[in-house]
Amino acid sequence: MSLAAKADLGLEASVASTLDVLAWEMELASARCMLLDATIGEMMKAIPEERREDFVESMHTVDLLCQQLTSLSAFTRNLSGAVSEEVSAPVEGALGEITLGALADRMATALGGACKGVDERDSAGEFDLF
Amino acid sequence: MTPHGRGLKVLVADGDRTVLELVQIRLDVAGYHALVARSGPAVLETLKTVRPAAMILDMDLPEAGAFEVLETLTRRGDKLPCPTLVVGRKLGIEDVKRAIGLGARDCMAKPFSGAQVLERVARMLKPTCAAPPAVRRPLFVDDPRLPRATA
Repeated sequence: MSLAAKADLGLEASVASTLDVLAWEMELASARCMLLDATIGEMMKAIPEERREDFVESMHTVDLLCQQLTSLSAFTRNLSGAVSEEVSAPVEGALGEITLGALADRMATALGGACKGVDERDSAGEFDLF
Repeated sequence: MTPHGRGLKVLVADGDRTVLELVQIRLDVAGYHALVARSGPAVLETLKTVRPAAMILDMDLPEAGAFEVLETLTRRGDKLPCPTLVVGRKLGIEDVKRAIGLGARDCMAKPFSGAQVLERVARMLKPTCAAPPAVRRPLFVDDPRLPRATA
């Protein structure tokens, strides 16, 4: 590939680093699920005992999601260690497809791009509860 | 999941936002009280007012890495204020030796899982002073500890 063509692709990162960054993000997603699981557990205490059974399946789904993300993270982390650092891929376009600003910013920074300092809470918007 | 951290304060310092939030959540869910710092100077500033039960320091902390922080804390021959785990992406044997030499209790290479970091923290906080083993004195003839012969 010519130098001009490479420059057009923007940010490039090694596949190993990209998988590593993905593994961290999945591990974080799993940790957030655990936090959600713990919060739901606390909320369940406030629900009358006779109604708790209605929510057990949902709680089980959250638990399953935690485990799924943890397993995927471990898989990606192991894969990252098995890939040569010399193989690289253009990541700029893929990063541009991420609509959550804070996630895109974290990943871009970890892959060697510029940090824009996007805060998770700023981009999350207001809670639409009512 | 049973929280086992008993509200113990753990200071986590890492320049990477993903790692910092991941470790913070895992510690909080496990019942610890996680305090976070994003740079070496922030660690030193936090330690002026808080005495954590344990610390997790990244080797590549912005402005002053884990080694500089450890050196600052032990400059006057002082011991580290609490058991410390040093983590790092390219943690080599020399880094481990240096960290242990500066008083760190343990080291762990990145990447790690949330479960692994919790396991290390729990291990660091285990009481290290086990009860001394009972002294075994040799038995002798007519030793009162021997069972008495019955007729």
